[in-house]
Amino acid sequence: MTRMEDEGPETDALLTALASAFTGPDGRPVPVERLALTPERLARLHTEGSAVLRPTDGSAVLVLDDTQLAALLPGATAALVVLDGHGGDPIGNGAAPTAAPTASPTASPTASPTASTAATAPAGHDGAVALVTRAPVGRSHLLAARAVAAATGGLRRAVDALRTEAAVIDALHSVGRRLTAQLDIDRIVQEATDAATTAVGAAFGAFFYNLVNQFGESYTLYTLSGVPREAFARFPMPRNTEVFAPTFDGRGTVRSDDITADPRFGRNAPYHGMPEGHLPVRSYLAVSVISPTSGEVLGGFFFGHPEPGRFTDRHQYVAEGIAGYSAIALDNARLFERERDFTRELSRSMLPEAPAVPGLELVTRYLPAATGPKIGGDWFDVIRLVDGSTAFVIGDVVGHGVTAATVMGQVRTAIRSYALLGLPPSEVLRHVSALLDSFAESTFVTCFYAVHTPDDGLVFANAGHLPAVLLRADGTIEQLGEALAQPLGVGTTFPERTALFREGDDLLLYTDGLVESRSRDVTQGIEWLLEAVAGLPRPLTGEACDGLVQALTGGAHDDDVALIYVHRAGAGPA
Amino acid sequence: MPFAVQADPVSPSCAAHGRMTAMTEPERVVGGPFDDEPTGSVGLEEVPEGVVLAVRGALDLSLAPKVQRAVERAVRLRPALLVIDLTEVSFLASAGMAELVRANRQLQGQVPVRVVAAGRLVLRPLELTRLTDELAIHPTLDDALAAG
Repeated sequence: MTRMEDEGPETDALLTALASAFTGPDGRPVPVERLALTPERLARLHTEGSAVLRPTDGSAVLVLDDTQLAALLPGATAALVVLDGHGGDPIGNGAAPTAAPTASPTASPTASPTASTAATAPAGHDGAVALVTRAPVGRSHLLAARAVAAATGGLRRAVDALRTEAAVIDALHSVGRRLTAQLDIDRIVQEATDAATTAVGAAFGAFFYNLVNQFGESYTLYTLSGVPREAFARFPMPRNTEVFAPTFDGRGTVRSDDITADPRFGRNAPYHGMPEGHLPVRSYLAVSVISPTSGEVLGGFFFGHPEPGRFTDRHQYVAEGIAGYSAIALDNARLFERERDFTRELSRSMLPEAPAVPGLELVTRYLPAATGPKIGGDWFDVIRLVDGSTAFVIGDVVGHGVTAATVMGQVRTAIRSYALLGLPPSEVLRHVSALLDSFAESTFVTCFYAVHTPDDGLVFANAGHLPAVLLRADGTIEQLGEALAQPLGVGTTFPERTALFREGDDLLLYTDGLVESRSRDVTQGIEWLLEAVAGLPRPLTGEACDGLVQALTGGAHDDDVALIYVHRAGAGPA
Repeated sequence: MPFAVQADPVSPSCAAHGRMTAMTEPERVVGGPFDDEPTGSVGLEEVPEGVVLAVRGALDLSLAPKVQRAVERAVRLRPALLVIDLTEVSFLASAGMAELVRANRQLQGQVPVRVVAAGRLVLRPLELTRLTDELAIHPTLDDALAAG
């Protein structure tokens, strides 16, 4: 907010003009001194004199009485005090009904200043200049002061009103910015409640809002401001009584100078008004929060004050403004949450249950990113083929969100289809890559495809994916298929390799979330993985695999992680 | 960012988004859902040999769209050569590699694309995906600019 300069040329011209209005009984000018008054000195003067230092019309010039004159300067015969440029109702806060501004929305949350506390500091934070003379004077300076007061009073009131207006807009703007930069519902509602309660000068405020749980059931939560939660904990949720209904139904703002005098009040059992122990409420203001996209009532703000007549048009305007921003922020948060849940559900639903395979012990995992809103395109698959072989697939579609999840679903199905046709790994990947090439958007998918044949063999191809880890029964560890080919959607040929996969051997396939991040390069990550695996008792259990992910990512993987662990147990019960 | 914030209507950062770089960004909440801000940056510079697109920091999913837009801007300058300099890249994720491939393929036959990459942070991912087969990779910017 721009502030007027305290002592501009205009103030100086005013001082000069007023000084020349001091004349003796003979009508000739008398010498006039200028004294700068600090706000403290002005306040002292105020307490010493009678009530004349209260310009109820908001004017800029005050006349001192005799007591004040003596306190100001011994021997003074007359003095005028010119207040500095601004201060918005500088003296006698609340004593001027026409100019009574709203409590500043930027005031501290606990501020509920009464007129008396404000009046002890007459000029607020502003000083003044006193024009003083010690010569005998007539009445001309008083006439001049009255003229100035008449001329400036309205102007000052207008400026004060504009300042208040600007402060309101400032406050709304900054609350709006903060609220709409949030996607966390809990933070939005608390911040909005605090901001609105402060802005309307309520003794306490509450925000009741409706959420829908995963079973589609609606439930109501609330936040409080200006009062501890315990103060409300014993009470039931407010019902749709006549007082509350307009807010919960979105039928407009309810404002009452004294809600206890409202005909709608106290008509409902069991309390017939406020429950015993409820904070006393006279002034009442309630505003609905309505979704700008669906028109649905998301919740309502309720403000109360134990004194009647506290809430003005201005308060209502601010509260409605904050409610509007809150609605946008809540809408954003809900839409965002919906997208995230949808994507999570989508990617989860496309992940298979690994089938039981005789002779193999399998652990499969898919973990969405632990931090951030991202859902990735990682997937795994275990496919029993008609010839008795088993295919293991792990892959990663670049990107996050719905697009990556849907591409993943298509790629997984494509691989499954070609696999079930009995195509060898290099052919499976070649077909899928060609298929991806026909997608409109360019895609980039890494994939490791391995087939365990019934005869101790492992045939695999790797489209730009991280190498697999083969743990031999004797404890030796090797990596398979490093840098064999380019990713799907990029490469066209996918050479095949073979390895032995015998009883007691284990195979581990994983995605990059396990071994790399912004703070961990892939070379280092793979080394740590190999070390960690070498130290684990085999075969690995599900818990051991979870521990591995935890140990390698510190539980804070910002990418999703998928893994398949296969232990070749032996002939088994097949 | 998966989602557009409904910003204050009087805030200019919304209307001019994407074109202005000097505009104030909307306030961010630390630890909030917008944490997915790129930690890296992309710069574009015209040199006598062509255009150098220098990437710094983590070239991952959050920075990849900026690289894509920078490539499009570079192309509009009709350069004789586009060099994507990854010297200052600290993390090359698959999303970043996908952008390199996209740029290379998009400009095929129009503008030669060269990539400056040195050090395992950047080279290892390119090797694991065999993009070293496809991309013209040079160890230094000077080398990339000088190469015939």
